[in-house]
Amino acid sequence: MLLDPGMDLTLRPMKYPDFYDQYRAAIKNTWTVEEVDLASDLTDLAGFTEQEQHLIHRLVAFFATGDTIVANNLVLNLYQHVNSPEGRLYLSRQLFEEAVHVQFYLTLLDTYLPDPEERTKAFDAVNNIPSIKRKADFCFKWIDSVFDMRELETAGDRRKFLLNLICFAACIEGLFFYGAFAYVYWLRSRGLLDGLATGTNWVFRDESCHMNFAFSVVDIVRAEEPELFDDEMRRQVTDMMEEAVEAELQFAEDLIGDGMPGMTVKDMKSYLEFAADQRLERLGMEKRWGSENPFPFMALQDVQELTNFFERRPTAYQTAVEGKVDLDEEF
Amino acid sequence: MTGLATTTSAATNTAPQQRGAQGGGDPAAVIAARIRAHAAGLPDVDAERVVTQINDGLWPGATEAALRERAIEITSATVASEPTYSKLAARLLAEHIAEETASEGVVSFTSSIAASRENGLLSDELVEFVAAHGAELDAVIDEAADDRFEYFGLRTVYDRYLLRHPEHRTVLERPQHFMLRVACGLSQSVEEAAELYSLLSQLAYLPSSPTLFNSGTRRPQLSSCFLLDSPKDELDSIYERYSQVARLSKYAGGIGIAWSRVRSRGSLIRGTNGHSNGIVPWLRTLDSSVAAVNQGGRRKGAACVYLASWHADVEEFLELRDNTGDTERRTHNLNLANWIPDEFMRRVEADAQWSLFDPKETPELVDLWGDDFDAAYRAAEAAGKARKTVQARELYGRMMRTLAQTGNGWITFSDTANRTSNQTARPENVIHLSNLCTEILEVTNDSETAVCNLGSVNLAEHCSPAGFDFDRLEDTVRTAVKFLDRTIDLGFYPTAEAEKANRKWRPIGLGCMGLADVFFKLKLDFDSPEALELSTAIAERIAVVSYETSARLAEDLGAHPNFNETRAADGVLHFDHYENARVTLGRRWEAVRERIGRTGLRNSLMIAIAPTATIASIAGCAECIEPVVSNVFKRETLSGEFLQVNRHLIAELKERGLWNEQLRQAIVVAEGSIQGIEEIPADLQARYRTAWELPQKALIDLAAARTPFIDQAQSLNLFQASPTIGKLSSMYRYAWKAGLKTTYYLRSRPATRINQTTVSKAKPAQIETVAEDVACSLENPETCEACQ
Repeated sequence: MLLDPGMDLTLRPMKYPDFYDQYRAAIKNTWTVEEVDLASDLTDLAGFTEQEQHLIHRLVAFFATGDTIVANNLVLNLYQHVNSPEGRLYLSRQLFEEAVHVQFYLTLLDTYLPDPEERTKAFDAVNNIPSIKRKADFCFKWIDSVFDMRELETAGDRRKFLLNLICFAACIEGLFFYGAFAYVYWLRSRGLLDGLATGTNWVFRDESCHMNFAFSVVDIVRAEEPELFDDEMRRQVTDMMEEAVEAELQFAEDLIGDGMPGMTVKDMKSYLEFAADQRLERLGMEKRWGSENPFPFMALQDVQELTNFFERRPTAYQTAVEGKVDLDEEF
Repeated sequence: MTGLATTTSAATNTAPQQRGAQGGGDPAAVIAARIRAHAAGLPDVDAERVVTQINDGLWPGATEAALRERAIEITSATVASEPTYSKLAARLLAEHIAEETASEGVVSFTSSIAASRENGLLSDELVEFVAAHGAELDAVIDEAADDRFEYFGLRTVYDRYLLRHPEHRTVLERPQHFMLRVACGLSQSVEEAAELYSLLSQLAYLPSSPTLFNSGTRRPQLSSCFLLDSPKDELDSIYERYSQVARLSKYAGGIGIAWSRVRSRGSLIRGTNGHSNGIVPWLRTLDSSVAAVNQGGRRKGAACVYLASWHADVEEFLELRDNTGDTERRTHNLNLANWIPDEFMRRVEADAQWSLFDPKETPELVDLWGDDFDAAYRAAEAAGKARKTVQARELYGRMMRTLAQTGNGWITFSDTANRTSNQTARPENVIHLSNLCTEILEVTNDSETAVCNLGSVNLAEHCSPAGFDFDRLEDTVRTAVKFLDRTIDLGFYPTAEAEKANRKWRPIGLGCMGLADVFFKLKLDFDSPEALELSTAIAERIAVVSYETSARLAEDLGAHPNFNETRAADGVLHFDHYENARVTLGRRWEAVRERIGRTGLRNSLMIAIAPTATIASIAGCAECIEPVVSNVFKRETLSGEFLQVNRHLIAELKERGLWNEQLRQAIVVAEGSIQGIEEIPADLQARYRTAWELPQKALIDLAAARTPFIDQAQSLNLFQASPTIGKLSSMYRYAWKAGLKTTYYLRSRPATRINQTTVSKAKPAQIETVAEDVACSLENPETCEACQ
């Protein structure tokens, strides 16, 4: 079974071919930080109001550490316990993507925050900005909960592991990051910070895949060991989700304050609850909040993009194209 | 900061908001009343729903202007459920624009001209023209014409085209003032101005963006594209080209530049007895130079480099856009195009070898085409001059890979381009490249930079469910050609090389847009024989009227100076090159041929189908000759993201009583495809196939059938959701065989996508316990028994 302790090395016959498919799809979407042009963002930033400055500084400070935390959990916990060579292939790929994200946000902060003192402060946000510290503490709590386990022997161990996995997929990638992306697209809807939005498009696509992978691990574990996901587990997941929404909401209060055009704490609350409900539904659970998405600019992210090539670099190409020259194929 | 302003200064952008706040009264109540008023008469628009959403999202200090902006955002995002909301959003935006211009004292056309003049934005000629005819011109304005705009069109005009106050950044003209200003900038009388304005305000014809941006201004750079010959194989010439490119970029021209004359890597440099590093370092410099020149303050310059496929650096050239490898050998801002001779394609077909040459050793190849090229190429091979020999298919496969991975590395055919051009009757006149959008094919040389002025007819506006209105099309084309010819004399040329070539050849490029809308209106499948017949007939009509008009202009004003160097002077017209041309207007063509024989043509080239990305947005129609990429999609532009929906489809679904929220979600979940949605009848599923779902052969066949009536070329995008080298190599070989001169982007789709935020109702997947019972999969061929 997937969570049985050990170091399975056998790729054929492949037990979880879907993991391998996800790995290959991810490779086709390789992107590099050098492709993102942040130059025009600086012009925009120069015209920001104080309130907007505050928001963007807090936001990038969150980004500065968010992906590093995810990467650490991946190596220290997930990779150890997902006992499938094809699953570990995917996780290795994910680790690379997290590294690209870390590099992207590093470049972003270096570009956005020219003042070295401010820059140092932003990178140390997990210690000195309360609204970010609270989110980080939430992450550390769930990393620590499984940190000492070398093997998942008992049902209790496996439940602990599942909670860690769900925390990172549903709460951190699926809520903290989704919350942060909403601010980026809100700015983008006003024609601002195009460079950040371009990079975010790519990060968003990667994070969606990471979340899908984690949920597919949960699906498999539940199919293999249905007894693990009991009522107590459901209660714990709901509690965890509520705590995450709370943490993200106080971050929103810090960023938005009394509100800005098209971005209020009230709307952000509905959005977060709406997103959290979606995660619960993905886990086969009841909705907890029943809120609606209030952000028109997020609805826009759900449809195909058509980029004016002269204005923005399209994000819709693949790498690792296969095949040989053949003059008689259907097209 | 208000999002309606695209400028970057927060201080100036907030100006209209503050004015709104001083207006008195409760801003939310005022806006609610405005929403209700604008929604009157719009079917299926629920004003109260919008008002409720506004009230739910109030924030402290919200002003009228900011709330109106929020209302615009909400209504424009609702278009996927009900397209009519686009009109409500447009009306709210028009109100915003009227308020903003009024704050600068602009209430009429003449006052808009006065405001722009005070700020030094207009040419003296325009100011004098308007001063002489003020009252008449004010009467020409059709205020109600703003209601023709869909939201995205009006928003594009507001964000990008209206003249702005240099410091306040407020707009100084309303959309109708802008259109009349453009018309006046090209006119000699009020009648002429009214004639052109009428086409613009009906959105029946639009000149290209440089003309819309600059007509009547102090620097009327009206041309869209510039084609520069390759620098000579020497240092000074290369740096001279950088300088030309920079000057042309500054005034928003798109650049095509060849690089085929420059020696390849490893070639001996006599002066220093060293070896050349090839073309890549030069193109890196070009890349930086293009990025550094900022067009109109915001958009980066854009250029496409053409390289002949026999050049020995072609393999490195094809890697310039890769996102892996040595960044010192990458150019992320340049577009790339392959300039391919027929001999290469023949060797691909024969699976033969292909020789690569250093142009320093074979300088003659650059200026040859057709049989002369073939002979010289083989002679160079026989003389052992090849620097490298590869399998033709290996190089062709690399070209396909570049297309699939970057969309770039466009495929253009040098022999077809030269063989069919009106400009290449004499051996010294050679086409060396196409332009940034692959629709222009004009002769260049070291001292002549080709130029083209473009405009596009909105075919959708010439079509009703009853049929296509060819008579109206003729009127539109006559006016369009007259004014395109006019731009040649009125334009400001950033370089002497450009002016010299343009005055001599006087080429123009009339194209079209909205072809897909025509098919939808007439209920034709994109790949049906009827669609091909109509599309070709439209192309022929545009061509014949253009030639007639140019012949008439030649009778009145004289032929273009080097008419005698053209094939038309020998009585050969473009469609004569095509045996299978579907000519239906034989008598008119013979008549115009006779007139041309007597007095010549005013323009050496007339037809080019440009991509029309931005002007199709203004007109609210499908881009040029393209099928739609999706029935629901967003446009990403510099000013934001905009939801677009196929109005024709929703209207038909409503007619049949099928449209509801559930169906809308199903279409969004399917990323704008309606294939396989059970509730939708088969005929609609067929007609509303997206570009990804249509056979690409149909796109090529339509393009090939209209080619006899396109004396330059067409920007033909091709689409493959999941490209493979096999599919692409078959497709582009077919395009070559079909006689296309050029192709444009290969569009493909990402291998993964985001989790939809607002529609997906994902549930846990039902997992079989795979460990015991391995599912049938290509990954497990050896364990699957079902297929054995």
